[in-house]
Amino acid sequence: MNLARMFATQTKMHFLWYFRRDGEMMFWTLAMPVFFLVLFSFAFSNGVTAKSSSFLVPGIIGAQVLSSGFWGVGVMLATFREKHLLRRVYITPMPAWIFFASLVTYRVGLLAAQAIILIAVGALLFHVQITGNPLSIVAILILGTATFVSLGTIIGALARTTESANNIASILTVPLAFLSDAYVPIDRFPHAVSAALRLLPSTEFIETFRGVAVGGEPIAAFAVWLTVLGLWTVAGTVISARTFRWV
Amino acid sequence: MSVAIAVDGLVKRYGAVEAVAGLSFSVEAGTIFGLLGRNGAGKTTTLECCIGIGKPTSGSIRVLGLDPTQPRDLSGLRRRIGVQLQATSLPEKANVREVLELYAAYYSIPPRVKEMAERVGLADKLDRQMAQLSGGEQQRLALALALQHDPDVLFLDEPTAGMDAFGRRILWTEVERLRAGGKTIVLTTHYIEEAERLSDRICMVQRGKIVAEATPADLVAEYGGAATVSIAADGFVPGAALEALGTWTRTGAEWKLATTTEPGLALAAIVTHANELGTTITALDMHRPTLEDAFIAITGETIQEAAL
Ligand SMILES: Nc1ncnc2c1ncn2[C@@H]1O[C@H](COP(=O)(O)OP(=O)(O)O)[C@@H](O)[C@H]1O
Ligand SMILES: [Mg+2]
Repeated sequence: MNLARMFATQTKMHFLWYFRRDGEMMFWTLAMPVFFLVLFSFAFSNGVTAKSSSFLVPGIIGAQVLSSGFWGVGVMLATFREKHLLRRVYITPMPAWIFFASLVTYRVGLLAAQAIILIAVGALLFHVQITGNPLSIVAILILGTATFVSLGTIIGALARTTESANNIASILTVPLAFLSDAYVPIDRFPHAVSAALRLLPSTEFIETFRGVAVGGEPIAAFAVWLTVLGLWTVAGTVISARTFRWV
Repeated sequence: MSVAIAVDGLVKRYGAVEAVAGLSFSVEAGTIFGLLGRNGAGKTTTLECCIGIGKPTSGSIRVLGLDPTQPRDLSGLRRRIGVQLQATSLPEKANVREVLELYAAYYSIPPRVKEMAERVGLADKLDRQMAQLSGGEQQRLALALALQHDPDVLFLDEPTAGMDAFGRRILWTEVERLRAGGKTIVLTTHYIEEAERLSDRICMVQRGKIVAEATPADLVAEYGGAATVSIAADGFVPGAALEALGTWTRTGAEWKLATTTEPGLALAAIVTHANELGTTITALDMHRPTLEDAFIAITGETIQEAAL
């Protein structure tokens, strides 16, 4: 079996069919996050856009990682099953992991494009400086993506219909984006509340990413949270693998 | 001859619904096996169990000696079978060429885009996306996907449902070509004509059970009933010679003969006799038993639900 060709062709087709030929998808992926960045940078600036924007660039990228896992993978899988696409693929010799790997690769590709655009716009318009070690930044993004893809896959596995997957994903994504330090600093909440919110994997991921990317902190400072994210990923993967249904 | 598919005591329940209620059959390698039955009879469920999509509640299945319920066997089986599902939906924005290329990659074979597209009549639609294909065209592409990797065993679930006459002719040609190539085919249909024309053996399924299984000719001979010839002619009475041909019944001016002899010869004898009597024939009809007659005799119902 030529697994490399299988993987490459499937990834290319995901990109073509679900992104390149889908104007709405391109708009939501590429234009909306920039629109949010510009709008919120001014709205939350108190006159200093560089500060609000330095907070928002990593925050919005982090929120995109969440929605990529919950919508981009979780809801997508439920849609694929409802449309009988999964069962058609299941009866071919393609190993399941190739299918998942290509879906995740496609999403990681989109995330990379989003991150580059947001960082560039932040730098050009608001003088945001990414000071962290690029390797550390990429490693954190990859771990975060793995965490939220594995959790998103549970949605795709358990939801009976696309509609219920959609509902679960919206219930999770929208509040999480606001409670995880992505758009609004959670330090504005009472201490007990922000401490509780730091138990969420989404908060831990976003604060780690921000701390390393723009906060000038070393990755080692976040060793505990990175370990916790790793545990979430393992749990998510195990539960997904046990509960996933092709039909 | 070796057995390509053996299904033994297959039962499949969905909650309280018993979709398949103890089916057993076997398919000789190189033959075409038709599962014929009404909507809801359990054909799709049976086929899904054979290809590893459905898990049987009980019973055993072997396809090419492999057990589709065992993950190891199934992964070996997948490359050797080709499947056209009853409802194949392909991604809306995918075009014909890309779908064939992707499926070639799944099977690690060189793409045969042009050849396959020509065989299913889509050669001029290679760049069309799924959303721009008719239901019948999508069905033809689904057939091409089942064939491209040249499998030994094919499972075709209602392959011509929703196809026009052109699509039907293409499918029939392909099935005949596969038969000549020695492939084994399991085909489900609720079109009697299609089952009769394509199948070496037909298995009639009703409410999850097999009610008859034989060659189409044997099914007709055994269950189709007598041939009939009817004639309406003033003053007609069958003489002794005609009475010997079978059983006569009379409804008003119409006489009807039910016969197990060749109805064409009976018809000729009846017309000659009517002429000798000097009567004027006002109506004349002959009916050979068909597979549909056999189906009705066996199941007690027509294959299409009565039209409303
Ligand atoms: N996933 C399912 N859940 C519940 N009942 C089902 C399911 N699939 C099929 N059935 C039922 O099983 C019976 C057989 O269906 P099916 O195998 O699709 O029949 P056929 O293909 O002969 O039309 C039908 O009564 C159908 O309603
Ligand atoms: Mg069916």
